[in-house]
Amino acid sequence: MEYFIQQLINGITLGGMYALIALGYTMVYGVIQLINFAHGEFFAAGGYVGAIALAYFAGVGYMDSHPVICLTASFLIAMAYCAYLAVGVEKIAYKPLRKNSRLAALLSALGMSIFLSNGMMLTQGVYDKVYPGELFQGRFDFGMISISYLQIMIVSLTAILLVSLNLLVFKTKIGMAMRATAQDKTMSALVAIGSNRIISLTFAIGAGLAAAAGIMYGLYYGSVKYDMGFIPGIKAFSAAVLGGIGNITGAMIGGLIIGMVEIFGAGYISGEYKDVFAFIILIGVLYFKPNGIMGENIDDTRV
Amino acid sequence: MKKRIVSILAMGLILVPFLVGGVCAKTLTIGSMSPLTGPYASDGTDIKNGVLTAISVFEAAGGIAGYDKIELSAQDTACDPRQAVAAANKLINLEVAGVVGAYCSSSTIPASEVLAEEDIIMITPASTNEQVTDRGLPYMFRMCGRDDDQAPAAAKFMKESLGAKTIFIVDDKTTYSQGLADGVKKAAIEMGMEVVNHEHVNQGDKDFSAVLTMAKQANADIFYMSLQGYSPAAMMTLQAKRLGMESQIVTQDAVFQPKYMEVAKEAAEGAYLTYGFTDETTPEYKAFEKIYVPKYGKIAAYATYAYDSATALLKAIQAAGTTDPAKVKAELMKLDFQGVAKHVKFAANGDSGSSYIAYKVVDGKFVPYWEPIKGLIK
Amino acid sequence: MIHEFKKVWKQYTIGMLWLLGLLWPMLGIHPDGTLTFQKTVTVWSYLLAGSLVCLMIYVMKASGSLRFISTPLSRTTEGLKSATAAFPSWVWIMIVLGFALIYPQFAGRYGTDVAINVLLYICLGLGLNVVVGLAGMLDLGYIAFYGVGAYTYALFNVTYGLAFWVCLPLSAFFACIAGCIVGYPTLRMRGDYLAIVTLGFGEIIRIILNNWMSLTNGPNGILGISPIGIYIPIFENGLTFEHFWVKKLEFFYYFALGLAIFAVIAVRRLNFSRVGRAWESIREDETAAELMGVNTFIYKLLAYAMGAIFAGVAGAFFAARMKFVSPESFTFLESAMVLCMVVLGGMGSIPGIILGVIALIALPEVFRELQSYRMLVFGATMIIMMLFRPSGLIPAKRMGTRSEEKES
Repeated sequence: MEYFIQQLINGITLGGMYALIALGYTMVYGVIQLINFAHGEFFAAGGYVGAIALAYFAGVGYMDSHPVICLTASFLIAMAYCAYLAVGVEKIAYKPLRKNSRLAALLSALGMSIFLSNGMMLTQGVYDKVYPGELFQGRFDFGMISISYLQIMIVSLTAILLVSLNLLVFKTKIGMAMRATAQDKTMSALVAIGSNRIISLTFAIGAGLAAAAGIMYGLYYGSVKYDMGFIPGIKAFSAAVLGGIGNITGAMIGGLIIGMVEIFGAGYISGEYKDVFAFIILIGVLYFKPNGIMGENIDDTRV
Repeated sequence: MKKRIVSILAMGLILVPFLVGGVCAKTLTIGSMSPLTGPYASDGTDIKNGVLTAISVFEAAGGIAGYDKIELSAQDTACDPRQAVAAANKLINLEVAGVVGAYCSSSTIPASEVLAEEDIIMITPASTNEQVTDRGLPYMFRMCGRDDDQAPAAAKFMKESLGAKTIFIVDDKTTYSQGLADGVKKAAIEMGMEVVNHEHVNQGDKDFSAVLTMAKQANADIFYMSLQGYSPAAMMTLQAKRLGMESQIVTQDAVFQPKYMEVAKEAAEGAYLTYGFTDETTPEYKAFEKIYVPKYGKIAAYATYAYDSATALLKAIQAAGTTDPAKVKAELMKLDFQGVAKHVKFAANGDSGSSYIAYKVVDGKFVPYWEPIKGLIK
Repeated sequence: MIHEFKKVWKQYTIGMLWLLGLLWPMLGIHPDGTLTFQKTVTVWSYLLAGSLVCLMIYVMKASGSLRFISTPLSRTTEGLKSATAAFPSWVWIMIVLGFALIYPQFAGRYGTDVAINVLLYICLGLGLNVVVGLAGMLDLGYIAFYGVGAYTYALFNVTYGLAFWVCLPLSAFFACIAGCIVGYPTLRMRGDYLAIVTLGFGEIIRIILNNWMSLTNGPNGILGISPIGIYIPIFENGLTFEHFWVKKLEFFYYFALGLAIFAVIAVRRLNFSRVGRAWESIREDETAAELMGVNTFIYKLLAYAMGAIFAGVAGAFFAARMKFVSPESFTFLESAMVLCMVVLGGMGSIPGIILGVIALIALPEVFRELQSYRMLVFGATMIIMMLFRPSGLIPAKRMGTRSEEKES
């Protein structure tokens, strides 16, 4: 039982991170029907900028006196940086291709992913970038179960971000505009919603969430590396599809499911086949519910 | 219109690297193969840097008679067999005198088959899999140790020095890491230790919480990590300590990288690892340190081996006075000198012997701790 | 002139400033708490200079200042075009074929090796073209079939000593089975769901190859696969056959060339057959195709199986050439690469795909000189090519228009 609970905690932490990344995929997909392969790189870039900012704060000496402020500032800086990056990437690599076939944009995204990860390698070096380790050290122990402060921090921050995103999308005017654009671009243009602005905004928000996930990842695993975006990117994309692509609640649930399946697969059956279990669940769900768990929410003009 | 501008912008990005480059006269070219991109780029870069250092040392000493210049053609294998074969063919085309590389055993093996067709000497600084030299290729040499030497040494260390009774083994499913893990398992069982579990993770995994929870539950004396590269090892160490695992961590030579302690920080303290014995007090090591550190930073796992490999190759070419492979090989077999990482002397099959000892992480440094014959090192 | 292109310059400036803002945090902030600008500005000014040159050329071309070059240039291209049209296409095919035949004589070892890669990937690309280009199903796990083909030959050869020519149909057969297994559950899905499920299947097959120790030897791969063997007739003392191993790269090149030619002919025949028409109708509009009496289920499954067969055959050749297979050759990135070749070249267009393959195999090799900049430049090239030629280098000629095209 203790073993089960411990694995459950592990699963929630990992799943939360996947969910944050998956949101970016699903939101972008919702508005322009593009699998943004470069999204994993936004996640990695967020991790890097977080590491750079934290190291800088430690270097000037603010870290010891105001750790919480520094951490918050790092989060904000990384999220802003990634939003800035994503908006530019969208303008350069995706916007000119919006009228062409979706595969062209997909390829451009793949090229962007290769370009960004190698750009990070060249500017930041091939070695891992280390996160300062003093933050949130320590853990609660309940018998065999242990929960680190970091895990609590990550899960609660993830929850806060998810709730605020939900509020943004479902309770504000901007959110309504985003949903409208996702459902029908022509109609939303008719009611004076600038689709370019909304698309940029969607990219910015998605990348910002990925950046937050990147910093949490760095804190949790101790370091970041230029190629770290790729595998979580694929997992998060699976999570987005599992939940029903374009569906924000679906992405959260999908992320948690993929995280759990991976942890329980590794913990109870076999570590080397854990990705197989995740994909089998994905295929199984899609076989019986071809639109994902929560159903999709996109503008599909072809049907 | 807009689209054009943007593309032109990007085009500019591409042009920059072309601005750098040069052409030279009568040169001796040697090749290196290592992953310069992809997940093992860090280790691959160390290898390239080691070879470059060796070349700069030779050039500073007056070069090799008959050649104005020694040049390195560093090829990227990305730890992918197909790219390794392409790189090997490229090096053949460049008519290199010899090759230092590759890193991953899975790249070295197919690349060496290609190089063997043209009788090109290959010295691997890092591929420890037995198959590398056991296939009987005449021009295949190895500077590092062998997995089937390392595994018994590691098992002996755990039994005799740490008094272990139970072991939990984890590997990450590469030719190297799995081969070593299997070897350790076999040796441990032969020595009467109990292997409670042998788990696997995948390459590229970063989250090890599931397998670590399992290990914590098992509570074996030793937690043996056989992982390719320092990066996953550091992450696993960090996560293990955060989870409160109490087993003693023991690991292997791929982790011998100062970055391991940098990433894992305090969690790495007290961890043991087996690695070929490098005497850091020799004048050779000191001299190497003086050249390498200011240029490339801390000395890492395979930089020294790559340096020795390149030095051996260049020495042999110098002695032979030609790049004819048969003559260079004869000179290589005659070599007997103190290198930076080890004493270099090749056996008939191309191996240069292993001298695995156990290191302990103390205050963020690897300190020699135990050796198989005399026991503890004071 | 400057005035005319004000918009261009404005955007260029914004773009470069954006890049500066992007570069600085990565290069200028140091952990010891200092901020520097020099390195950032140096790197940035390199980029600025490079892009400025390109932009100048572009602007001059657009404004007509380069007419003294471009006019004769366009005249020559036009002249060439009319000259091309003067000969029937088979003449050109013969010229290309003739070039391919003598290629190894002057290419050297490395060139031949790269060419073999190109030929194998042409087979792969054409196979994927059947699935993506003709039937319109996005497949991100295609390389798995290549892996199945390679492992089939490797295993049968190493365990049972079967010859290459016996294993070739077996490779095709097993790849075909794998294609049907993947195809069957995915047929209900559309578009990007299909993409992720095929990606999943691709990963599953790779992970199984990596973990099924007793069968595939896991990450160690399989060593000692024999090369292609052929019997050469010898006319001493009557007719006897001598067995001969194709070890030399040049000989292997001709086998790969044969494979590629076979693939080109096969895909062309398929494209213009009844089956190919059915696939195209499914791609354009599945519902309508079904209404017209096309059995979409069978045809989609057939597309998968067909694509997989091409990959399986190419896989067997791959194993025979490398004499070594390991799961590392069959990762997702490889699938993405093959997809890139197809899309970059122009979906559904055979010459386009050949060009796409040459571009994507040759470019990383050309960029080998750049060492660690290699993949960076490669990624940038991919984006640029897509921006300039979004429907591929040589787009396929289509019959009729699609509903989507009319709308936009």
